Amino acid sequence: MSVVIISSDRYHKGREIAQKTSEALDYALLDREILETVASKYNIPEERLRKSLDEVPSLLGVSSKMRALYLAYIEEATLAGLSGDRVVCHGLVAHLYVLGVSHVLKVRILADPKEVLRETASREGLSEEKAAKLIKRQALERQRWSRGAYRQDETGASLYDMVISLSQIEAEKAVKTIVEMAGYRKFKPMTYSIKCIKDKELATKVRATLMSYYPDVRVRADGTTVVVETNALKREKRKRTEKIKELAGRIPGVDYVEVHVVHDLLRPAAESFR
Amino acid sequence: MIMAVITISRGSYSKGKEVAEKVAERLGYECISREVLLDASDRFHIPEIKLVRAIHDAPSILGRFSHERQVFIAYIQSALTRRVQKDKVVYHGLAGHLLIKGIPHVLKVRIIADLADRAANEMAREGVSEEDARSLILKDDEERRQWTRSLYGVDPWDCQLYDFVLRIHRLTVGDAVDFICEAAKREAFTTTPALQQKMEDLALACQVKAALIDVFPDTAVICEYGNVVVYTKKSDRSTQKLQKRAKELQKEIEEIKYIEVHAGESFPPEAV
Repeated sequence: MSVVIISSDRYHKGREIAQKTSEALDYALLDREILETVASKYNIPEERLRKSLDEVPSLLGVSSKMRALYLAYIEEATLAGLSGDRVVCHGLVAHLYVLGVSHVLKVRILADPKEVLRETASREGLSEEKAAKLIKRQALERQRWSRGAYRQDETGASLYDMVISLSQIEAEKAVKTIVEMAGYRKFKPMTYSIKCIKDKELATKVRATLMSYYPDVRVRADGTTVVVETNALKREKRKRTEKIKELAGRIPGVDYVEVHVVHDLLRPAAESFR
Repeated sequence: MIMAVITISRGSYSKGKEVAEKVAERLGYECISREVLLDASDRFHIPEIKLVRAIHDAPSILGRFSHERQVFIAYIQSALTRRVQKDKVVYHGLAGHLLIKGIPHVLKVRIIADLADRAANEMAREGVSEEDARSLILKDDEERRQWTRSLYGVDPWDCQLYDFVLRIHRLTVGDAVDFICEAAKREAFTTTPALQQKMEDLALACQVKAALIDVFPDTAVICEYGNVVVYTKKSDRSTQKLQKRAKELQKEIEEIKYIEVHAGESFPPEAV
């Protein structure tokens, strides 16, 4: 009755494995279909949410600030889905923000590089040499994305319990392996691990609400208590604290809001020279 | 009957050695690591310590002794491929996944552990402080990284090099052992007569390379069904010497059916 998070270097391969795993385990599949709900809830084009998951910020694409906001909305929806248990999650970069929950099994799937090369060359109409360069560039871009968005390199094995390369192992065997591993006792939910995921769910809910006002907020939750950290000038402290308490206090499940205002020393210093 | 070769790559204090030993015990395989260096030391009359340094220490900035390093690695590769051609082997030394080149049925596993867990293991075993343990582990990791990059142009931390990467943290040593033993039974990692031939060809190519490299450093070797081709980029007087030496080798190594030298050609990617 665990949660399985699948990450992959190729979206479609990861999705195929995630779908087969969810069928084999009889778990729900949580993937990019939830973006439609997120898009309608916050009135954002779905395409922008997809871009925020796939592309590095750019002048013509999504800005860094908007990407952080969109990712906060996606995190909120993902955590709401994961708190239900018996879920296989894929394509929502949950491996980068669902950390420290013992019943979450994290697996990374690496597609067969030869197959990727063949597919890319035929899809893009490129020679194998040019396709190899394109794949390398895409991989570097993806690394830049994960470092920029979550300050972590998603290609690093230490983020996962297991990495499976499909060079020698067929997709069906990989699925069987994940299913077996999900059955291990240590991936069964416990009271504490369930509480961890519920706390994360509440924290992401509060953060998604506050971020459109204060993009720098950091939120953690413990039961029904929420702790919010933000940077502000001394003179803004009171006003900001009250506003945060008001906004966060309206969210169901929040009983008490604690606000920590970190004084930004550099900004007043800069302002004093004006 | 299931027969496989398993290479287990590991960082220091990652419990990879323990995993390898238990896998070998469970499957009834031979577990090798230092034995390869001892074989190479015996066969090529090189002190073991020199071989250890060649395969462990990061190359110096000026690349001094790089030829000597290449020679020693060729000796180690030859000793390793000879050992694993018998099959039913678990190897947990350095760079096994790179030294056993181009053999598809070798199950390549990497065992990793978090720095905190590794430091705790080192503290318990060596009685050093946490700070010292962490810095020793990081230094060791960096040396291995540089070594692999300089010789093979790849990063040992790159997951693409392995069939599985397992993190010992929530997964225990026992889980990893169960998992590897199960994986080794899969068809993809079972030796077939064709794959056995490939392994024997690799061992023979490595043996020829080890015999040549000291005098002819700029050579690469491939072998198919006992037919050996030695490549050299040069095409000068030394080629004649190489051809002469190659003919001598045909008499010395009975597994060679035929040997020829291709001079002035670039090395094929599958060559050792």
